[in-house]
Amino acid sequence: MRLRALLGGLAAALAMALAPAVQAAPKDSLTIALQLEPPNLDPTSGAAAPTDEVVYGNIFEGLVRLDAQGAVKPLLATWWEVSPDGLTYTFHLRDGVRFQDGAAFDAGTVKFSLERAIAPASANVQKQALSVIRRVEVVDPRTVRLHLAQRDSDLLYVLAWGDSVMVSPRSAAGLATAPVGTGPFRFATWRRGDAVTLTRNDGYWDQPARLRQVTFRFIADPAAAFAAIKTHEVDAFTDYPAPESLAQLRADPSLKVITASSEGEVILAINNRTGPLADVRVRRAIQHALDRRTIIDGAMYGYGVPIGSHFPPQNAAYVDLTGLYPHDVAKAKALLAEAGYPNGLSLTLKLPPPNYARRSGEIAAAQLAQAGIRVKIENLEWAQWLDQVYGRHAFDLSIVAHTEPMDYGIYDKADYYFGYHSDAFHGLMETLKGATDEGQRTVILGQIQRRIADDAVNGFLFQFPRLGVFDARLKDFWVNSPTQAIDLRAASFGGQGVADGPVAKAGPGGAILGGVLALAALLGLLAIAARFGATWLAGRAAVMILTLLAASIVIFGVIQVIPGDPAAYMLGLNASPEAAASLRQQMGLEGPATQRYLAWLLGMLHGDLGVSYTYQTPVAALVAERIGVSLPLALLAMVLSVVIGAPIGALAAARRGKAADTIVMGLTQVGVAIPNFWFAVLLVMVFSIGLRWVSAGGFPGWEAGLVPALKALALPSLALAAPQAAIIARVTRSALIDTLAEDWMRTARAKGLTAGQALWRHGLPNALIPLLTILGLQFPFLLAGGVIIENVFFLPGLGRFVLQAITQRDLIVVQGVVMLLVFAVVATNFLIDLAYVVVDPRLRGSRGR
Amino acid sequence: MSRARLSPALVVGAAISVVFVASALLSLVWTPYDVAAFDIGHRLEGPTAAHWLGRDHFGRDVASMILLGAGNALAVSLVAVLLGAGLGVPLGLLAAARRGLIDELVMRASDVAFAFPALILAILLTAVLGPGAINAVVAIGIFNVPVFARLTRGAALSLWTRDYVLAARMTGKGAARISLEHILPGLASVLIVQATLQFSLGVIAEAGLSYVGLGAQPPAASWGKMLADAQTLVSVAPLQAIFPGLAIVVTVLGLNLLGDGLRDRFDPRLDEER
Repeated sequence: MRLRALLGGLAAALAMALAPAVQAAPKDSLTIALQLEPPNLDPTSGAAAPTDEVVYGNIFEGLVRLDAQGAVKPLLATWWEVSPDGLTYTFHLRDGVRFQDGAAFDAGTVKFSLERAIAPASANVQKQALSVIRRVEVVDPRTVRLHLAQRDSDLLYVLAWGDSVMVSPRSAAGLATAPVGTGPFRFATWRRGDAVTLTRNDGYWDQPARLRQVTFRFIADPAAAFAAIKTHEVDAFTDYPAPESLAQLRADPSLKVITASSEGEVILAINNRTGPLADVRVRRAIQHALDRRTIIDGAMYGYGVPIGSHFPPQNAAYVDLTGLYPHDVAKAKALLAEAGYPNGLSLTLKLPPPNYARRSGEIAAAQLAQAGIRVKIENLEWAQWLDQVYGRHAFDLSIVAHTEPMDYGIYDKADYYFGYHSDAFHGLMETLKGATDEGQRTVILGQIQRRIADDAVNGFLFQFPRLGVFDARLKDFWVNSPTQAIDLRAASFGGQGVADGPVAKAGPGGAILGGVLALAALLGLLAIAARFGATWLAGRAAVMILTLLAASIVIFGVIQVIPGDPAAYMLGLNASPEAAASLRQQMGLEGPATQRYLAWLLGMLHGDLGVSYTYQTPVAALVAERIGVSLPLALLAMVLSVVIGAPIGALAAARRGKAADTIVMGLTQVGVAIPNFWFAVLLVMVFSIGLRWVSAGGFPGWEAGLVPALKALALPSLALAAPQAAIIARVTRSALIDTLAEDWMRTARAKGLTAGQALWRHGLPNALIPLLTILGLQFPFLLAGGVIIENVFFLPGLGRFVLQAITQRDLIVVQGVVMLLVFAVVATNFLIDLAYVVVDPRLRGSRGR
Repeated sequence: MSRARLSPALVVGAAISVVFVASALLSLVWTPYDVAAFDIGHRLEGPTAAHWLGRDHFGRDVASMILLGAGNALAVSLVAVLLGAGLGVPLGLLAAARRGLIDELVMRASDVAFAFPALILAILLTAVLGPGAINAVVAIGIFNVPVFARLTRGAALSLWTRDYVLAARMTGKGAARISLEHILPGLASVLIVQATLQFSLGVIAEAGLSYVGLGAQPPAASWGKMLADAQTLVSVAPLQAIFPGLAIVVTVLGLNLLGDGLRDRFDPRLDEER
């Protein structure tokens, strides 16, 4: 009963602290969903595509930009001259440009930005490409001159990428979490795991953006994506993750589906170095064994254009080589026999997480098997993929999309992961660098494509489609982009007068909750010390501390042996080893393990869980944010499970042996057997997609008000509660049956109470002990056990946080969160022990089990 | 309660369990269709006379996939239970026989193990070991160890006070021999019940791990992976999410009923002994 009162109090405190703040406005805010969350918001360090998608062109701008056709256009530089020898570029800068924080933009800023990118400590992914710049000369405040070490016809393209944006010395240090640029939007808030919000920059140098606010939400789950766009919770997906449901969205007149081309080539990467695969005949056999059309149908539901080389079909220099190796199993077998493998061979296929790769991989494996190539599939996380395939070249085959534009240069790197080396190809690349006119470039690019295809370097599957799904009213939205960017300066909604959702703001929800809990814990401890004596408390505390210490050693140990380098993960595909090394140093990953363990332990004693590698924000602060979702979810689920389970159990106990009892107990058996993630999927099918009563997922934040927040938690907490309710019903029943058999129950009946009255007044309180035990065991489980549920409903809670941290190798976060969860278990067990004594006075003598 | 009468729960549970094991064994030698052959053109077709449960997103026969999934679930959970019991039971026997420091160590270690969020640690373990059925077995099996250790210790402690054990001690038998000859047989019923329940938990855990992509790797079939594949298709082909889910629920239900039924059957004797 006390527990119930405590929960009630907490809920009331929450309700008061978080009064609804809903406001209506015309539709001038846009919510875009991205599949991946950016690890940080600094496009000049690290290679994460989502970072560019959020900030490039919106917050940050460079000297030049690429238009939809991939041509270089002026931006912060109005025009430029290239010296005849190609070694000097002079840029004339735009007047009146200011950063969002008021800092001025001039030639000095350009010099600062470019020198920062190529500095020794820089983690810029294009550092190597930009290092062709020998010197940046400030001619006058509006003119800057770049002196090159050698000719480089790619320089202007590199300057148009997110890695080369202009940053101000005033704000450069904090770009990862507080980006400041010259673009049409300014950074507003970032609710990690959920959304980044930008607002219009009214001081923009050009025509201001038409949207007042843009929110980027992060939804990778295909089912969640479908629900979110179908219910208009998000207005746009630039990269819709579920081609399988696109046909349904096409049929919806309120949505617009656009399939556009991208610069991404999906390839079956072949490790050219190892054994049989070093033989071009084996590689050609693989090409003949593959049936691209079936792969595109099966994996992409028909979306995607077949390619025959590493080059996008929409490019003017594209040569169609898809007919070079027609699907021909007999030919493949013949080639294998010729190469000395008449009985076929066995290969491993290591696949990264995205659906396109996993599905293509399964189909490709089946096709290769037809030709006698036995393929063993290994599904990897990105960090493992980067480590094994990309870093250590420990693979035979892989499938991955290469999304960088004009990236054929990777075939000229012998140490690149697929390990292709050809003097002929190198010669072509050298000629290309010297090429001055477009015609000549086109010819050489054609030869490059043919060379790669002839050598059957990789299995070329299809051009990755950009599947955009948009609110039909959305206008001037740039889709066909040659860079990884979502440029929103011109985007707007055609229609008017549609009320908007509430404006999301980072709020104090987690902090308030934390404060309330801390206060409650302190008061509780004082009360316990007063009641049970300090010795007993000290003894229990010693056991707790020892358990926690042992747990911390185990966690730290496990974390140490996890393969995969966080620095490599953050820097992505084109990172140099030096950049990775300097990042590792910054992240404190160097040094002896014992020393790092002690530092971590000491930090925890101060409440310092370290700084997240990916978010570059204190872990404690991130955890506090997530607890604001997970704790209410767990509490809600617990309350629900008791409210549903206890009366059912009581009913069964009261009707023991009768039909009602049998039916109820049968149902609870089914309830226990249902995996909660499956139940969650069923709930979404019925209540979100079918009836549309509640949203299919996401969390609006407590700032949006109590009702929307609770509504968002309704289905997840029900999914979590259902199997628990079944357990509680069973425990309640058996506990009640036990107490009903006691003599004093007969006495209660004898003194004139009805069976029901006796049950409620005397039976239930005595049945509380086993119930409390189960609740105590459940609570930490609910807190952490939401991992999968939080993923189904894309809630930004602790479970999803730790899962994401594991895949991103943000190990300091994993350490901290797991430790916290262990602490929750240990602390709850302690509280249960106390509760025993409080609920059952008979235990006061023995105190313990 | 009459010992001779079988409870309906036990009968139903045993029947389901037998069907489950039989289909798992059957899938080793025969499935209605060859699931290695993809047929993209006929994908996501509903149930027909030829394909009772329809076809999946690659055009494979769902019924065949579910049979193979049973094989996977059986193998993973069974080995995980054997692993847990194989390590946990000796630890529990040892703790009960030696008491003192060893007992304390075993119990505290199991406290620590219980304190860990199992699923998260399992995910961490597969991050270390790499995904795959064998590593899923290890991740699930590790959490079975403390369960069996505690159960064995608790039950063994009470047996150590029994007269026939005392008598055995009088004859000069060592602790190890008594544990094996007199304690372990007495624990059989408790352990069988617990093994059945851990088995059903293993089926759910395996489904969960496969669902997040850490269990059996394709082309091996797993109910959890089938659910994960189906989830993206919920709006297009909802039936895809129904059948593997039902397979899990029915199997787990059967194993739980079997475990509970066995417990009820063994219980009277346990009560006498307490």
